[in-house]
Amino acid sequence: MNNQVYVLVAMILMGVVTLGLRALPFVAGPWLRRHRMVGQLGRFLPLAIMVLLALHTAWGHAQARRALPWAEAAAIVLVVLLQWRFRQTLLSIAAGTVVYMLLIGL
Amino acid sequence: MSANPPLSIASLTAPVAVGYVPLGMVFGLLFVQAGGAAWLAVASSLLIYAGAAQFMMVPMLAAGMPMGSIVLATLVINLRHVFYGLALLENMPAARWRRWYVIYALTDETWSVLTALPQQQRAEHMTALSALNQLWWVGGTLAGALIGARAELGLNGLDFALAALFAVLAAEQWRSRRDWVPVWVALGSYAAAAWLVSDQALTAAIAACVLAAVLRSDARPAEGRP
Repeated sequence: MNNQVYVLVAMILMGVVTLGLRALPFVAGPWLRRHRMVGQLGRFLPLAIMVLLALHTAWGHAQARRALPWAEAAAIVLVVLLQWRFRQTLLSIAAGTVVYMLLIGL
Repeated sequence: MSANPPLSIASLTAPVAVGYVPLGMVFGLLFVQAGGAAWLAVASSLLIYAGAAQFMMVPMLAAGMPMGSIVLATLVINLRHVFYGLALLENMPAARWRRWYVIYALTDETWSVLTALPQQQRAEHMTALSALNQLWWVGGTLAGALIGARAELGLNGLDFALAALFAVLAAEQWRSRRDWVPVWVALGSYAAAAWLVSDQALTAAIAACVLAAVLRSDARPAEGRP
């Protein structure tokens, strides 16, 4: 970490790799657009990946505190139910987060 | 989506802020504690802007690992981003710099809130939403780096807001699709991936979901376009 040139060069390379990955579908867009399959992916993937991200993030919390994911599961279920019923994004997130903090703080 | 979109820019960026500011602070703090300069912590949130990769690089840089390993690890951990653009292809802003900024700033969280915007509002609002989200991350990084090792942070689960945000967005996606297949495929593939390749569970599970989506479109060729 003392060698700032090494750190900076590594960061620039990481940035280039990350940008390349993010840009790939846009650069290859004209080709992708011609294929009906891409539309199907666009309909299927958002829901699947959102479930994955919620699962992955919650699982990461359980692993970080070295416990079974009961508090995470309870908080996620609460968030989904609140959002389903009231459709107030901030309310759902705030309630889920506060309940989670209380559960792991007990 | 109904004619009355419940998801304003403020309501979409606020939960990202609640997640990004403390997480960015933790990143800045860890980076400085590992011996990095504060300005370099902030530079990484501008140059890379990918949370998981930034957390990953702290021990790698501290250990002075070779560039090749760091680049490869970044490639693997950020591979999932390849799939994100697919959902946004049709709705990008027209101006070139805006388009490239949105592509550059397409993190997990930003992608998830952008796809929650109604299609006809995306091109108009996505630049501002992306920039606000990055502002939270860079601001959090700066604050954490400045605080350095001097203070204890009482986080204790506040960053669970990000998991809650993803759960909210999953519920909204389900509301507009009412399709159980993606949900079961996601749950099943993550369970399998966490068991088989726990280090790369997210990337492996996303790849499995892409495969399932491809197979499904082949199996149901008669299905019409939306």
